[in-house]
Amino acid sequence: MKLYDQTSSLFWLLVSIAVFIESIRLGIGDLHNPGRGFLTFGASGILGILAFVLLIQASFRKEALERAPLFAGTMWKRVLFVLIVLWLYAWTMPTVGYLLSTFVLMLLLFWVLEKKKIGWVLVSSALSTFLTYVVFSKWLNCQFPDGLLGF
Amino acid sequence: MGFLDHILYGFQVTFQPINFLFCGIGVLVGTLVGVLPGIGPAGAMALLLPATFRFSSTSTLILLAGIYYGVQYGGSTTSILVNIPGEASSVITCIDGYQMARQGRAGVALGIAAWGSFIAGTIANIGLMLVSIPLAHAALSFGPPEYFALMCTGLLIVTYLAQGSILKAIMMALLGIILGSIGLDVITGLPRFTLGINELTDGVGIVPLVMGLFGISEILVNLEQTLAREVYKPRIKNLWPSLSDWAQAKWAILRGSCIGFVLGILPGGGAVVATFVAYATEKKIAKEPRRFGKGAIEGVASPESANNAAAGASLIPLLSLGIPPNPIMAIFFSALLIHGIQPGPLLIRQHPDLFWGLIASLYLANILLLILNLPLISIWVKVLEIPYKILFPLILLFCLIGAYTLNNVQFDLYVMLLFGVLGWIMRKFGYEGAPLILAYVLGPMLENSLRQSLLISQGSFLIFVTRPISGIALGFAFLLLLSNLFPYFKKQRQQYESFKE
Repeated sequence: MKLYDQTSSLFWLLVSIAVFIESIRLGIGDLHNPGRGFLTFGASGILGILAFVLLIQASFRKEALERAPLFAGTMWKRVLFVLIVLWLYAWTMPTVGYLLSTFVLMLLLFWVLEKKKIGWVLVSSALSTFLTYVVFSKWLNCQFPDGLLGF
Repeated sequence: MGFLDHILYGFQVTFQPINFLFCGIGVLVGTLVGVLPGIGPAGAMALLLPATFRFSSTSTLILLAGIYYGVQYGGSTTSILVNIPGEASSVITCIDGYQMARQGRAGVALGIAAWGSFIAGTIANIGLMLVSIPLAHAALSFGPPEYFALMCTGLLIVTYLAQGSILKAIMMALLGIILGSIGLDVITGLPRFTLGINELTDGVGIVPLVMGLFGISEILVNLEQTLAREVYKPRIKNLWPSLSDWAQAKWAILRGSCIGFVLGILPGGGAVVATFVAYATEKKIAKEPRRFGKGAIEGVASPESANNAAAGASLIPLLSLGIPPNPIMAIFFSALLIHGIQPGPLLIRQHPDLFWGLIASLYLANILLLILNLPLISIWVKVLEIPYKILFPLILLFCLIGAYTLNNVQFDLYVMLLFGVLGWIMRKFGYEGAPLILAYVLGPMLENSLRQSLLISQGSFLIFVTRPISGIALGFAFLLLLSNLFPYFKKQRQQYESFKE
């Protein structure tokens, strides 16, 4: 945990510095008339101090540096694949339309864990797309994009 | 109108067909969410929120309350039968609940959990009625310093009760405050931290934030691991506990209810903390503490009562003060704001249909949940057998739909995915999402109270300590912070002693 704490505290320290500088730019005002950067100035200041404390605590902790990679022994490739698919869905859905993009999304998501049964994957994807469309769009009147193809 | 008239009026509201339907859907969805690990109550509420826009605020709140109550009931089923808590508030039930199931007493464990939840829920409802109104009257005299102090105390309690490092929890709360300040500044009307992105002018949406931090990150964590889940299939019989079971569990249920109610009211408290305290109390006062961990019925009855009592009680600060005491209540708070209702001391007076309708719906939800969780328990056991390969794509799709349909903005999908990845990495590095969410919601209110207080006092921070309520609240928060240092000093002393030796 030592290395993880050092890394994360450095990250939060950088975040706090960025917010701190932006708060000053926005204007912190004074105690009589606090400006729009007043609260974030204080919050980022304390965040920075705490991140620094965590960094010092972690650095002086009597614990061997954990060299094992954070994603060792995990199926991180599967996670990465799902994240890319989700990002592509978010990017294309308004243009392609709900039905088509969701069908492709579900196809890929079902396929990740069930690669052998293609027929099952196709039916499940079609069924889940259609059912969610009926429930959310028709019954609950949620707005879905039609897309370029009109469906 | 007298007290009884108010309750009858509440039941009139609840028994309107749409509200009755929403209560039923709420408890059903809540139980399902509780049974299935993956999507938590916050995610489920956020998902259904966009679908409630064309319905009244009362119906929406009844639905959300049904989900929240349902989750508390449903969570115990997985804890007892699978030894995997459906929700964080059922973690402690695993210890004795699963042991009871292995001893062939799964039915009794499920029965006492359901009855305990029912009794505790009823006690909490009565408490909610009795406490909310006087508290709302008292809160009318609260000014910005009191609100600021109460919110600070709430945030500190949440970080204090964090499961991991308190330092990290405070850091997350500060990050939540910063995130909450993105968008237009309420006082000057000028944008801040929008990075030139138009969509951020309205701030970061709570639905994509919650869905990302809790829903998406949970899925990503599960995806990394092997997904095999062993479901222990005991024969479920004798759902009605015997007289000796009742004799053993009755005081545990009452104690659990009281602990849950008190911890539920406290800003920063909630169902999860209540279950741990209730279990610890039972173990401490038990004549034979060794029985705990080996299938003691009190180990199921007390925490299951506590989480339901806390769920009901946590509505008190929200409805009477307008302060959400935990992240789930933060979703309630947002739902009310979306429907144009300002939670606070005037809510009960201005929207009696909402307040009394909600209370009556909680009674109804309790009864519906008892029916769902006792005679229909076999259905939930079947739900447990649904493979994860089917569940995970569906949960992801629901999250995407929930995030998109709130404003029909593509940007919200990106926000959800961003916070999903952030939440996933945060879990790996030992950071919790709950303080962040609560601070994100309280942030804008906290800022307003702080700026108004400073304007009133002409720049003097003494206003927070000279007014009795804010002084006491901040004093308590200070002591809480100070108490964190005691273990540190103790450790240093021990190190010094060992060095001397």
